[in-house]
Amino acid sequence: MPEKTLVSDITDDVIVPGVKKKDPIVVAHAVSRRFGGLTAVDVAHLEIPRGSITALIGPNGAGKTTFFNLLTGFDKPNTGNWTFKGKSLAGVPAFKVSRMGMVRTFQLTKALSGMTVLENMRLGATKQGGENIFISLFKPLWKAKEDEITERAMQLLAKFKLDTKKDDYASSLSGGQKKLLEMARALMSSPELVMLDEPMAGVNPALTQSLLGHIVNLKDEGMTVLFVEHDMHMVNTIADWVVVMAEGKVVAEGPPSTVMSDPAVIDAYLGAHHASDLGTIEGQLEVAEEMESDLIRSEVEQDAEAAGIAVPTHEPAHSTDAASTPVDGEEKK
Amino acid sequence: MLAGIRPGQSARLIAMLIASVVLCLSVVLGGSALGASAAETTASTSTATEQSILVWVRTDADKVGVPNVSISVDGDGGAETGVTGADGKAVIPVSEPGTYTVTIDEDALPAETGYPRPSTNPAKVEVFEGNTEVPAIFFLSPDNAKGAVAAPSDESTSTPTPGATGDAGAGTTTAPVTVDTFWLRFWPQLVTGLIFGLLIALAAIGASLIYGTTGLNNFAHGELVTFGALMAYLFSGVMGLPAVIAIPAAMILGGLFGWAQDAGIWRPLRKRGLGLIPMMIVTIGLSLALRYVFVLLFGPDRLTLPNSTKPFLVIGSVSLKFTDVAGAVIAIVVILGVALVLTKTKIGKAMRAVSDNRALASASGINVERVIRVVWVGSGALAALAGVYVGYYQSLRWDTGASILLLIFAAITLGGLGSAYGALVGAVIIGLIMNLSTLWIPENLKFVAPLVLMIIILLVRPQGILGRKERVG
Amino acid sequence: MNGNFIWLTIGQIFDPTVAAYALATIGLVIHFGFTGLLNFGQAGFMAVGGYAFAITSVIYDWPLWASFLAAILAATVFALILGIPTLRLRADYLSIVTIAAAEIIRLSVKTPEFSDVTGGSEGINGAARAFNDVNPLPEGRWGLMGTPLVYNQDQWWVRIVGWGLVALACLLVFLLMRSPWGRVIMGIREDEDAVRSLGKNVFSYKIQALILGGVLGGLAGVVFILPRSLQPDNYGTQLTFFLYTIMLLGGAATVFGPVVGSILFWVTLSLTDGLLSLGIEAGVLPLTTTQTGPIRFIIVGVALMLLVIFRPQGIFGKKKDLHFA
Ligand SMILES: Nc1ncnc2c1ncn2[C@@H]1O[C@H](COP(=O)(O)OP(=O)(O)O)[C@@H](O)[C@H]1O
Ligand SMILES: [Mg+2]
Repeated sequence: MPEKTLVSDITDDVIVPGVKKKDPIVVAHAVSRRFGGLTAVDVAHLEIPRGSITALIGPNGAGKTTFFNLLTGFDKPNTGNWTFKGKSLAGVPAFKVSRMGMVRTFQLTKALSGMTVLENMRLGATKQGGENIFISLFKPLWKAKEDEITERAMQLLAKFKLDTKKDDYASSLSGGQKKLLEMARALMSSPELVMLDEPMAGVNPALTQSLLGHIVNLKDEGMTVLFVEHDMHMVNTIADWVVVMAEGKVVAEGPPSTVMSDPAVIDAYLGAHHASDLGTIEGQLEVAEEMESDLIRSEVEQDAEAAGIAVPTHEPAHSTDAASTPVDGEEKK
Repeated sequence: MLAGIRPGQSARLIAMLIASVVLCLSVVLGGSALGASAAETTASTSTATEQSILVWVRTDADKVGVPNVSISVDGDGGAETGVTGADGKAVIPVSEPGTYTVTIDEDALPAETGYPRPSTNPAKVEVFEGNTEVPAIFFLSPDNAKGAVAAPSDESTSTPTPGATGDAGAGTTTAPVTVDTFWLRFWPQLVTGLIFGLLIALAAIGASLIYGTTGLNNFAHGELVTFGALMAYLFSGVMGLPAVIAIPAAMILGGLFGWAQDAGIWRPLRKRGLGLIPMMIVTIGLSLALRYVFVLLFGPDRLTLPNSTKPFLVIGSVSLKFTDVAGAVIAIVVILGVALVLTKTKIGKAMRAVSDNRALASASGINVERVIRVVWVGSGALAALAGVYVGYYQSLRWDTGASILLLIFAAITLGGLGSAYGALVGAVIIGLIMNLSTLWIPENLKFVAPLVLMIIILLVRPQGILGRKERVG
Repeated sequence: MNGNFIWLTIGQIFDPTVAAYALATIGLVIHFGFTGLLNFGQAGFMAVGGYAFAITSVIYDWPLWASFLAAILAATVFALILGIPTLRLRADYLSIVTIAAAEIIRLSVKTPEFSDVTGGSEGINGAARAFNDVNPLPEGRWGLMGTPLVYNQDQWWVRIVGWGLVALACLLVFLLMRSPWGRVIMGIREDEDAVRSLGKNVFSYKIQALILGGVLGGLAGVVFILPRSLQPDNYGTQLTFFLYTIMLLGGAATVFGPVVGSILFWVTLSLTDGLLSLGIEAGVLPLTTTQTGPIRFIIVGVALMLLVIFRPQGIFGKKKDLHFA
């Protein structure tokens, strides 16, 4: 497995939520977003380390997607400011954020289904003069660039094993392939920071391993990655740093090895699941499994024993199966 | 996304569509051996004739065509004569381009329609090569003298000219706004505006419930209104039944019409998974088709419901007819009834639940399709009542509903799409703005005021006055 | 009555009105078919273009080129006024705002208060004069002798220019839609947030598309009034709905769809008219001649419904060409 960035390369300070990073690419401060009475995001301070892979985790409804939306200009916060490469992004529209090198994907895939896979890819390219209405009328003016773009698109598609589908409509792809296409498309612009919202959700288990590889490659190519994920195995495997959100706040952060046993994290997950219908022993064990946390597991088992409930046998195998990944489908209509 | 079309299914859908159109037709036909007399059409495609002049003789007050008026046309291409048809129009072909004088025979005009506006008869018309239907329009009014020539004054707005879509409610005379007369004019407009607002509300509440429960912008909602008006005309104007029978009958048929539409068209389309935008275009098609079915059956002319123009209630400068007062009372009672149903009954709560979150409502055991069906029936009945109301107030014609459709939309947009109370508030605001605006802007621009207001509201508060913010991102 | 209507029907193929409808529909195809903008006010764009042309040329005696420019500018300004505030809102708001704006235009030009400039409810006559003055064709009448398809020099002139504009517009749409610009536009139709996330200024593209389609609508408004006088009531919402029917007939996201659709639309109207009249004369149909008009529009309405439901890709379109649903 890949080289992980050392904790000491990320920060020297005591690791608490909001800890300063040596070389942050994104710095967010006092960012909050309310929907009516609900405070979806309330991040006091957060820095994303440059050149590493950061995972953003947290139970459903924790505000991860909303935080993504705020950082990338798709939504406006009620308070706060944040910078990317030292430049303030407050009030910068989404398309400019993207042009500055901060490109995101969406939790609910947004493959452009009425267009072919190749056209999807080409759309991700930047600096195509032919996107200007006047230049577009004269093919010789944009033909050369188009060929260049197409070549790059084909390279990326080959990497993501989508090259044979280049002329298919995106609507004909499977859910996982659409995720891959969306990620490949985002890479067309050679961004500096790639933000992936649940890249694994719905992806065929056979593909997940190669997807992991792709993400690690991004880091090797010098990009910074921030991704939201529910699959703790994946987080453990590739993330250099983990940020945990619950009820809009950053409740913990740190290297994957330590953050998983942070009591605040356990509380966050158990709390969230208690609040929902998953307040059963099975549900809690599922959470434990999801988090690969023996601590939670033992806690739950103790509770159960105390209450005189038979504890179901534990199947240690974690699952990268899409079906077990919680999907919050309430995002958009 | 469109679901795949299975052949058997599509055959059934066609059958349903045809059946529902036939059903609508038969409901309309129910007793109409009536004068679907000489229906004249609105558009004519005489693209092959060389040049022609379209003479159109209309009354000033309500813009109804005056038939059987003799016309003479004289000019470069020689003299021609003609007689206006049932719709007051006559197309006079002319062989050469040039200048023509068009004269209508004032001696043959019926006294009650009056005479042309001063200095408009004869009219001069320039016809260019290939021009067809160059208009020469004469407006007649009993206020004008025979053979009158314009007074040497440039005050040309002495006669109020209501828009083509007709005037709403108690007639008010247009006088120059001075401090003294301002309040004299204000109160009647305020009352008219309120009454008109209630009328719009009846239709708008239904439209907004449909939008709320199904997401559909129903462009054929105006035709539900027209349908009600025409049914009232059928029962009271043609069959001579008293209003207490005619109006409920019109409402019942309106409810049936709503039921038929949902059962015959909308539910099958929902089951097919037709998207909302295509569905909206289907409502446009339906609206066009129904409008002209109405023309076919009831003719293109204005119809009137038996009504007394005697003042019934006079308070200060406000003078109301019996129908104004009765209509307002009925509307208020009905709207209160709707509010009760929405808040107190099981089905009403279900409607609000479906409007709120369809998936959730369905998951919690509400029969969404049944709720939608009830909404359609209720909307049909409410719209029919609104139609009856329009029938008493302003022009009752095949396009009566179409002419207030945008006001209905404006009301539900103002109130916040999909909120029934919002629709009520929006409608009353629309009615008030429309009528009060005439204190400052020309009478015939009064349809413009609420539309402009709607656009402005959308810009500053896209969720409407009472609506909630949409979930974005 | 005789078989003459067959010739009239054939004549529709070059009719300038048909060209005007095709041109306006090309604009609509850019809006709705390619960009996904729900413009229900194309009649308003036609009115704005037509009035700008007629007012400048008839009332202010501007030269022809200046009047054309005025029509283009007026449509551009109209697009900006509608687009800047609404293109950030949800799609169905644009539909309500555009339909309302078109009605505002129609009601405003009709009002007697502005009749010095707009001609009030009678409209403006003679807008074609400046246009016919520059007619290079020699005087005379040509065509298929012995049929009604014989036109004089001015009638040919408007047909040539009208259809010439349609051809140019088709070429423009073809060039644009195969280009990277067209790719962005179509991406916006599919999902504007995705396109935004890829660094495209979605708002700017939408405005461009709105202006472009609106200007074609404005020019269509000019072509529309060249063979007839300008009358405000021609620009009701019904006109826009006819354009939607035409667009769906030919296919919503195609280059030649509007041309095919417009010809088909008018040929069908003309044929039904003729056939109904024949039927009435022969005593087969229990109708009066004046009832044929409504029947045509009933056919249009029902056709629109059936098209959307059963052939949303257009009469000749392939299923995969379907880009809205
Ligand atoms: N546009 C919106 N309007 C209202 N509530 C919202 C909106 N977007 C998100 N929320 C709410 O904010 C909270 C955070 O949601 P989200 O960011 O999607 O969580 P996550 O991605 O962590 O699962 C949830 O309770 C969600 O219901
Ligand atoms: Mg999320």
